[in-house]
Amino acid sequence: QDRIEEDKEKGAIVDERRRLLSEWMAYLQREREEVREERRELGLDVDEEDKARAEEVEKDGKVVE
Amino acid sequence: MRPILLQGHERSLTQIKYTKDGDILFSCAKDQIICAWFSANGERLGTYHGHQGALWSIDVDPSTTLLASGAADNTVRLWDVRTGKCIKVWDFNTAVKRVEFNEDGTKLLAVTEKRMGFLGTIVVFDIVPDVDAEQTNERALTITCDESKATVAAWSYLSKYIIAGHEDGSVSQYDAKTGELLDNFQAHEVDMEIKDIQMSPDRTYFITASKDKFAKLLSARDLSPLKQYATETSLNSAALTPKKPFVVLGGGQAAMDVTKTSSRQGKFEARFYHKIFEDEIGRVKGHFGPLNTVAVDPLGRGYASGGEDGYVRVHHFEGAYWGFQYEVEREKGEESADL
Repeated sequence: QDRIEEDKEKGAIVDERRRLLSEWMAYLQREREEVREERRELGLDVDEEDKARAEEVEKDGKVVE
Repeated sequence: MRPILLQGHERSLTQIKYTKDGDILFSCAKDQIICAWFSANGERLGTYHGHQGALWSIDVDPSTTLLASGAADNTVRLWDVRTGKCIKVWDFNTAVKRVEFNEDGTKLLAVTEKRMGFLGTIVVFDIVPDVDAEQTNERALTITCDESKATVAAWSYLSKYIIAGHEDGSVSQYDAKTGELLDNFQAHEVDMEIKDIQMSPDRTYFITASKDKFAKLLSARDLSPLKQYATETSLNSAALTPKKPFVVLGGGQAAMDVTKTSSRQGKFEARFYHKIFEDEIGRVKGHFGPLNTVAVDPLGRGYASGGEDGYVRVHHFEGAYWGFQYEVEREKGEESADL
């Protein structure tokens, strides 16, 4: 019986950590996107990911032509 | 994790800073000098002489061209990192407690002390990141702290905000262009001084260290509290580790506040906490007095601490550090590589 209780407790801790981790990752992603957006508005260099995306858009544009 | 002991200062350390590439470490102390060291082997590269009072703060620009310092002699100085020559002196009415360059090294902030007849201020100078350039005498901005004096301050992402920590335990967000106070938040217990603020690598959030024994993580965008780390000692400094989701805290009761027992010798510790789960995960002993300042290599390879004992201890992270991971982080795999 103690074992089961212990396992339940451990499970709850792990679930809580899983929740905290997802929450933190979502926060970082949101924050990074917002900063990227602000950089774009200010006409500053965007990061690599953005450059790659911009190039892709350009390529797509050419295909349409 | 065998540390390298840097012996060069004769009095308590006040701040340590790594260059952007982490190769050089600067330290300043109450002995009025600034030292530069190779972080890899602890060899001393040089010293910067000129201040006529205790040094409170230093910072190096992102191109490792200029070094800024603030001291009890009521000056901020700018130094040529390479030659050690002082290239600019700005005079104030009171001591300078904190200096920091913004993310591209084009602005420098300085926090000045409050004293009879003078309120505490945060001033900003425009900087030309070139050792041969003429630096301005004019302040680009002066923020007067009429509520509670600022003890520390830092630049946010895009140099949008100046974030200040105050003597009364609150944190302020100022518009970095106009100096307007946008927000103030009682992050720590009332009248528990904030001793340190350090930004995350992207400057979107920051960590505070306070006398109330807590370190806290707050958003630079809106000062919302994100995380907190509870300790059992007054904190002087807090830093974030890139590549691993940890925080490093330094503090300790001042000698006059503890019963002097020989068993406490060398037991002042740097404390590691998990940034996301807020648990304590490790301690590193070594100093003979409180840790006044901690700094982490921007490339995440190690950290350094500066003590009231006059020593700097440089640590290079090893296997156990890199391998430490919670099961739930392992589950996320690659996704959790950059937290």
